[in-house]
Amino acid sequence: MSEAAAGDQLPPLLTLSGIVKRYGQTVALADGALRCEAGTIHAVMGENGAGKSTLIKIISGVVSPTEGEMRLDGRPVRFKGPGDAQAQGIVCVFQELSLLPDLSVADNICITAPPRRFGLIDRAAQIAQARRLLALVGCEAIDPRERVRDLPLSRRQMVEIAKALGRKPRLLILDEATSALTADDVARVVTLLKRLRREGMAILYISHRMHEIRELADRCSVFANGRHVQTFEAGARSEDEIVRMMIGRELSQMFPPKPALPPGGAPVLETRDLAWETRLRGISLSVAPGEILGLGGLDGQGQREFLLALFGCLSGVTGEIRIDGVPSEFASPRQAMGEPQRLALIPEDRKTEGLMLPMTVAENITAATLSRWRRGPLLNNAAEREAVDEIVRRMQIKAVVDLPVSTLSGGNQQKVAIGKWLLAGPRVMLLCDPTRGIDVGTKQEIYRLLRELAAAGTAILLYTTDYDELIGVCDRVAIFYAGRITRLLTGDGITEAAIIAGALDIGADQKEQAA
Amino acid sequence: MSGAGPGLAMRPPGGAGGAGAARSMLRRLDPPLLVASACIVAILLGGSLYNSLFLSPHYLVQQLQVASFLGIVAAGAMLVILLGHIDLSVPWTLTAGAMLATGLAGSSLGGLAAIPIAVAVGAAIGLVNGLGVAFLRIPSMIFTLGVNAVLQGLMVLYTGGSAPPSSAVPVVRWLAGGRVLPGIPNAILVWALVGVFMILLLRATPFGRTVYAIGNRERAAYLSGMPVKRVVCLSFMLAGSASALAGLLLTGYAGKAFQGMGDTYLLPAIAAVVLGGTSIVGGRGSYAGTIIGTILIVLLQSMLAVMQMPDAGRQIIYGVVIFSMLLLYGRSRSGQA
Repeated sequence: MSEAAAGDQLPPLLTLSGIVKRYGQTVALADGALRCEAGTIHAVMGENGAGKSTLIKIISGVVSPTEGEMRLDGRPVRFKGPGDAQAQGIVCVFQELSLLPDLSVADNICITAPPRRFGLIDRAAQIAQARRLLALVGCEAIDPRERVRDLPLSRRQMVEIAKALGRKPRLLILDEATSALTADDVARVVTLLKRLRREGMAILYISHRMHEIRELADRCSVFANGRHVQTFEAGARSEDEIVRMMIGRELSQMFPPKPALPPGGAPVLETRDLAWETRLRGISLSVAPGEILGLGGLDGQGQREFLLALFGCLSGVTGEIRIDGVPSEFASPRQAMGEPQRLALIPEDRKTEGLMLPMTVAENITAATLSRWRRGPLLNNAAEREAVDEIVRRMQIKAVVDLPVSTLSGGNQQKVAIGKWLLAGPRVMLLCDPTRGIDVGTKQEIYRLLRELAAAGTAILLYTTDYDELIGVCDRVAIFYAGRITRLLTGDGITEAAIIAGALDIGADQKEQAA
Repeated sequence: MSGAGPGLAMRPPGGAGGAGAARSMLRRLDPPLLVASACIVAILLGGSLYNSLFLSPHYLVQQLQVASFLGIVAAGAMLVILLGHIDLSVPWTLTAGAMLATGLAGSSLGGLAAIPIAVAVGAAIGLVNGLGVAFLRIPSMIFTLGVNAVLQGLMVLYTGGSAPPSSAVPVVRWLAGGRVLPGIPNAILVWALVGVFMILLLRATPFGRTVYAIGNRERAAYLSGMPVKRVVCLSFMLAGSASALAGLLLTGYAGKAFQGMGDTYLLPAIAAVVLGGTSIVGGRGSYAGTIIGTILIVLLQSMLAVMQMPDAGRQIIYGVVIFSMLLLYGRSRSGQA
């Protein structure tokens, strides 16, 4: 880049070196390094959990680093909070929207420092300011007086960008800001970013979309496992090389062997064109008894919604679900878990969805099967206790069953959440990231358990953000992208490279270009 | 004091097996119950210094009789609070139950019909509350307040034209003030029955377990396949029935049903539930605690009345006692956690 000549005399806008962020025992970022210069677009890449988000949070002042040095214009800085970072010209557009849905577009854009007259908010000036910023991002069509709630997601994201520009950034961070945008809005953002670069702004661009990075970035940095791997000029590395950099670790031997599936088993679960709002756009799948089907892809591509839809938690789902060939429709988990379908869902967040934390281990274990442990109208304590003991033994739960489940470690809590459903004897088991935040030993136990259940004929759907699990545990992997299944990997085809390529939809990109 | 009895005797039926049972019994004896029981003893002792009458069996039995009406209302209030909801329609559910049961049973049917009528009226009102909260997803605080206002209007209409009979039917007078056991008014026995029912319901049935589960984490209960909506509806129905039953008993005690008879029951019932150690956000509490809370409230009111404290002072002391006890609970609970 020719602008780089100017950068030689001035210190770079922002440099980070040796940044470490720990949360208790967990290391979110082990070695963060980055160098942002004015007038460049810097792309940051890495898979889920690579440390990108932590890095962004540190730069924008949301969290402070445990160790390491950050320099702004060559001088060391430490931000006291996001407001402090913003005052110094570092503004971030987060992927979770920060807009207040019930306020108007103008209110939102001017939320931190609304123009005032006599101490009161000057509405006319505020609307004029909002109009100017919306025009800047190419969205003149948005009425500043409209409520944010009434705007479609893509437009909201554009408002978010306009709001960020209103804070006069020197360094603008876009964290997956384009993932919710329509093609038209993406084009607007691309044009806008190119102009801002010409005007000398530094831009940090986090995205999973290779073609956007190809078009925009001057420089790329790859992160893996909380470490900065490499920074290179755009175009200096092939996409294959980038993918390999993003993997950067070896597969461990912690998974049970995968037995060959008996051929010709009629599918237990089939879906056809399952769709829900904009999150699921026609999912067709089938799962055989004894099969573990992995749901892969980037976080938030519809995998969760797919499991919730199967379990009857979403209303307005269209398409068809067949259990043993019989079309089924569930309006609630109660129906989905009932005979003869017997579905079970291990939800994503065990603390708020999987367990009643203040209740005892025993009460949690029998929560899904209460009506079985009855004698007349009353609970049959002996039978209930027997069932609890059996699950505790089978799952090797280390706990006093009469104490609240909140006293258990994360791994044991998750065993309780899973054990609850073992009592129900499910035919189809849906698991949503069941090993997140769990120690390695418990993970292995859960993998073995899943294999045992599969061997006994249960059909298992496993959504996980951990690629190793997809490779090590699953018989087949369906890669989700934007509410669709883009690839179905089988057998030896389940490799990290294939999963990542599918998750980033790289193959599809190339096809588009070829066409 | 008899109130402390159930608190100690209450044992979770789930706690089978040596160490576990002992441990869970210790857990059950939580600080709120101890503090409330100690408060009852302190009030009685303090009162007896003022006037030895306060320790006489006659006075104590009379207080228990008065407490039984509040205790039955509090049983319903507690069920709803355990879910994490609240029932603000208590005043006019109580009044409507009393007026309709007295009116219908007094005019056409025999006196005995008053009891099922009151329970049915309460259940019907509770069903409306439950449907609004569980299915329309309207916050219970708003919805039950609205139902209360509508009931008030309906009752004014009901009494407006024809002046239906409002004098208590004989069987209800007997139920509230008669004595099957020598020296003990039947109202206390009715309360005891309600108490046994509540304790069994909450501790020993799938329904009760589901109530606690919903109060602790409705989403987890729903994802466990528990019949969340049905249990919420049924709980509101039971709560309505409890209020209406208390209203009917009250007609037997006061002699007649009248408008506004429920006005003084809503807040004391909620106070009794919370003073008894039930979490106002749901999921935690026992009916034994509510019994103690009820007795505490009734004694406090009575004591302040007997001491001929001017009304302003009475209200202030009443309020101060309630929130200072809650402060105490809050502290002990955070210490535990």
